[in-house]
Amino acid sequence: MDPAELRTEAIAFSRYLVGSEPSEELIARYCEANRELFAGEEDRGVVEFARRHPWSIPLLDARFALGGTSLLRKKLLVMMAILETTPRFVEQTEQQPLPLPRLALRLVSAGASVAVHVVGGFALSRILAWRHVD
Amino acid sequence: MSTEIADVIVVGSGASAVNAAFPLASAGRRVRMLDVGNRDETYDRIVPEASFSELRRTDPQQHRYLLGEHFEGIGWGHTGAGAQLTPPRQFVTRDADRLQPISSTSFFPLQSLAEGGLAGAWGAGSPAFSPPDFDGFPIGYDDLAPHYEAVAGRIGISGTRDDLWPFLGELESLLPPVDSDDNGRTILARYIANRQRAQRRGLYLGQPRLAMLSKPYRGREATHYRDMDFWSDAGRSVYRPRWTVDELRSFETFEFVGRQLVVAFEEREHEVVVTARHADTGKTETHRARHVILGAGTLGSTRIALRSLAAFGRRVPIVCNPHTYLALLNLNQLGKDSLRDARHSLAQLCVVYAPEGSARPFTVGHFYSYRSLLLFRLMKDSPLPFREGLQILRALSPSFGVLILQHADRPTPAKYCELREDDRFVVEYALSEGEQATNDRIESNIVRALRGLRCVRMMTMRPGHAASTHFAGTLPMSDRDEPLTTARDGRLRGTERVYVVDGSVFPSLPSKGLTFTMMANADRVAAGLARRLA
Repeated sequence: MDPAELRTEAIAFSRYLVGSEPSEELIARYCEANRELFAGEEDRGVVEFARRHPWSIPLLDARFALGGTSLLRKKLLVMMAILETTPRFVEQTEQQPLPLPRLALRLVSAGASVAVHVVGGFALSRILAWRHVD
Repeated sequence: MSTEIADVIVVGSGASAVNAAFPLASAGRRVRMLDVGNRDETYDRIVPEASFSELRRTDPQQHRYLLGEHFEGIGWGHTGAGAQLTPPRQFVTRDADRLQPISSTSFFPLQSLAEGGLAGAWGAGSPAFSPPDFDGFPIGYDDLAPHYEAVAGRIGISGTRDDLWPFLGELESLLPPVDSDDNGRTILARYIANRQRAQRRGLYLGQPRLAMLSKPYRGREATHYRDMDFWSDAGRSVYRPRWTVDELRSFETFEFVGRQLVVAFEEREHEVVVTARHADTGKTETHRARHVILGAGTLGSTRIALRSLAAFGRRVPIVCNPHTYLALLNLNQLGKDSLRDARHSLAQLCVVYAPEGSARPFTVGHFYSYRSLLLFRLMKDSPLPFREGLQILRALSPSFGVLILQHADRPTPAKYCELREDDRFVVEYALSEGEQATNDRIESNIVRALRGLRCVRMMTMRPGHAASTHFAGTLPMSDRDEPLTTARDGRLRGTERVYVVDGSVFPSLPSKGLTFTMMANADRVAAGLARRLA
């Protein structure tokens, strides 16, 4: 696995998940986790596309969340786990009980976002399949 | 001492083995415990003594134990046996598949070669069997009652006299109950307010019996409510059998011999010769004793017994509580905008479904909140994209819970073990359609009754046969003098000096964790042997 590509992934995934870039230490941890967990796994296709086009990550994540095995989802899970176990990101990843009105608002807005991304994700994945990027 | 003849060799160091060794060593008998005895050599040193929420806010090294030094805490497989093992608990199953392989198409159990056995990672649920649970056993509740008290006095069990008392068995030696967390309290409050209606539906709720200390006890600390029980054993407030191993080491007449994988025994005129393989070198070693107690876990002891008795190709039964996880949303907690950090991580409530009262078979479950296992583990199983999933789960997970139901199990021809001539240990297990239909019906009724307490099922997960780790019934206790059974006193039929004390001897399993009863039975068998050796 190319360290430069892993670095690009780590930055793109972190921006997607928590809206900010990871430290050098977290990037190194992500690279190490990839070496431990994905040694020998081919990362061309969807992951490569997502790395080159970070705007596509929410769409492809939403699409593959609904089924199918996906290296992209596995890699996002690894980044999520790394961020969740970093003090700097606790505020963004710990449990957050909300009063009912705010909870309802959050569910509606997140639900709408998921719906949009799922539709976009399926469309994009069909295009990628047509172009043999899968 | 290993060249001397011991009074008793105890094979294994898990919950049953240590509670068999204790009364023997206390009575001055020379006891030698043989086990591989793997220990955690990595995480015990690096998990700080602080609360889960504090560690998450302050410890830059938390990934080392929360994710693991080799990221072994990140998994994406199906939620099955062992899914609950965090990196600091994974030593419990280390080497077991390599040294004790099982051949199966349907049964994928966790086995342990660790000092303290599988209970090094147990949930500490400690209900006693009540009289109806002994249906089909040659012994009854009265035979075990004093031994329940002896074990409870040894390990410390918290609980209280509440609506569950008739179901969880009489026990005088109880410590005060540990506190439930917000999730557990709100459900319990709803139950108390609607008790009659819930009970008409067969639902009873109360405090779980837990081998977790609510006050300092025998050199161990009360729980500090740090929510770290899945990650560390700080203060030793949760009972682990290795605490008893440590206690046993203080007896001059006790010896622990590690790295020993016992493979067979051979009875001679006045002694038993036990053959073991060194876990690292593979070298064969022998030990001699007047008596042997097998407490290597159901699968381990059965393998040793079948091999020693040359019972190759003979099928023996096996039973195992089928587990179901009901993921619940607790609407009583939803919308409450604060959470108490101070909590323990184990079962917050015990749930009993008994539509016809305590004299009939009933179903027991334990309710866990989802707090200290990190959200990414939940997100793996959710059909949501990670970013939105994170936002939704952060808000909803304080109201999440998992009710772990363990259904009763009885032997059938479709559940068996067999040691082949080539030493392959085969286990197959299948529930009949009738058994599955019964379990499904019970689950539906429980879900309906829980809805009345404003707990809504979100998902049902069946983690697969063997996930409960409650294996039993392979060398069942019986009054009938048949081969590959055990007598009331624990003696393995076909032998004069070999006893079995683990789950192997339970002819069937009620809907209840068996560990506490297994410990009590081990105490009973060993106390009887100690008297005869006096």
